[in-house]
Amino acid sequence: MSDHGNKGTPSVAPAISADALAKRYGDFEAVRGLSFEIGAGEVVGFLGPNGAGKTTTMRMLTGFIPPTNGTAQIAGHDIFADATEARRAVGYLPEMPPLYPEMTPASFVDFVAKLKDVPRPDRKTAVERALDRCGLLDVRHREIRQLSKGYRQRVGLAQAIVHEPKVLILDEPTVGLDPNQIRDIRELIRELAATGKHTVLLSTHILPEVEAICQRVILIARGRKALDQSVADLTAGGTSLEETFTRVMTRDDAEEAANESASGEAG
Amino acid sequence: MKHTVTIASRELRSLFVSPVAYVVLTLWSVIAGTFFLASLIGFQERLIQLQQYQMIQQLEQLNLNDELIEPFIGSMWVILLFLLPAVTMGLVSSEKANGTDELLMTSPISIWDIVFGKFLAGAGFVTVMTAIVAFFPALLFYYGEPELGRTVSGVVCLLLVSMTYVAVGVFASSVTRNQLIAFMLTLVLLVMLGMMLPFIVQITTAGSGLGPDSGVVKVVGWMATGSHVDRMLQGLIDTGDLAYFAIATGAFLLLSKTAIESARWR
Repeated sequence: MSDHGNKGTPSVAPAISADALAKRYGDFEAVRGLSFEIGAGEVVGFLGPNGAGKTTTMRMLTGFIPPTNGTAQIAGHDIFADATEARRAVGYLPEMPPLYPEMTPASFVDFVAKLKDVPRPDRKTAVERALDRCGLLDVRHREIRQLSKGYRQRVGLAQAIVHEPKVLILDEPTVGLDPNQIRDIRELIRELAATGKHTVLLSTHILPEVEAICQRVILIARGRKALDQSVADLTAGGTSLEETFTRVMTRDDAEEAANESASGEAG
Repeated sequence: MKHTVTIASRELRSLFVSPVAYVVLTLWSVIAGTFFLASLIGFQERLIQLQQYQMIQQLEQLNLNDELIEPFIGSMWVILLFLLPAVTMGLVSSEKANGTDELLMTSPISIWDIVFGKFLAGAGFVTVMTAIVAFFPALLFYYGEPELGRTVSGVVCLLLVSMTYVAVGVFASSVTRNQLIAFMLTLVLLVMLGMMLPFIVQITTAGSGLGPDSGVVKVVGWMATGSHVDRMLQGLIDTGDLAYFAIATGAFLLLSKTAIESARWR
């Protein structure tokens, strides 16, 4: 890990800045006033139990769903006011990689390059580079439906990076893969981060993954931020991430129970 | 605009490698061939009959456009109502099923790019379908003398109707992620627009005192495709009928855009 150095205070706008983001589905508050900033070049693990609001937050950051409240900026572009620019700055791998099964990796990544406004003269090289980086050159002309899950995940990554986005948002990039594939994808993410071109926010609930890839952890529980610290600090006293994680979650559970009984009395 | 073309060309390529497209095109060709052959044999028999009985007046009035081309294109229009839903059902709904809606909606494109792109792809497909139909009347120009203007008007009419119905299909496909539901909804809408509306008006207004000249009856009658198609098949190109196709297409595309947009706010 040689790129720890460039983590210093960014002189320009932070790569990602969320300001009191909130999302409500009917009566259910999926995300409740989430704020954080991620500097350029950081690799941040977005942690939390299932249903904590990780996917919802990522969908709001990428502009897939509008927040009920609050706003966010991607590379200085507001996701509402400057949506087109904000979207150009993001590469997004959703939990289920968005793929057309009847296409080939080559034609699919080319299609995405067109969607993301990669200038025509650069397109061919951009597609080649994305396929190469994700190790897809051998299967570039196979139908995506014939590819293994690991390869599909790589195609998902290739479409996310083809336009060299400043910000990469990866929703559980290793879920459902076998150990070899997990290792490959992690290696790939580490390499992408090492290029220094991308700021990476990746969600997971696998703790060793965070230690393996990330410099910083944002832990959310029930749609709120429960912890935001660098991995180095967290593991400094010899405590494992798992202990910290469990401690924070239990504390949060207790607080939640207290809140609920309080609001129950009030209402 | 650039993105509209990107989406349309991707969709068109996917359409043409899908088994559904081939089943539809095969059925369409077979049905067109059969109908055409049947109409041709019918025409021939009528010709022989009239000659045998020396019915000079009727013989003079007998022509390929009235007796063959018009009913042929008219029946293909009815077949279209039932085949087209299979083509359009996946246009938008399959994006949701593939998860690719998440890619499209997070790309720097507008929802209109998606709607127009899908519409153009469907329009490209029905152009191929219309070309298959047009092939048969074209044959007649080698052996007889149909009126060119009326024949072209009929073919253009089929193309316009098909495109209008594609817009209906895009809309039905936008409201669900399930292709079967999209298929059924398109079928219902097309059968309503194409066949049922006049009957429904007749039945519901019977005995209600609403005559054929009342506003409601006229408006609903205007909404039905039938009257517009009939005139055009006869070779009467009326701006009012062209406006109908344009308005119906525009309305359904607007509905599609609204449907896609509202889905993300839920």
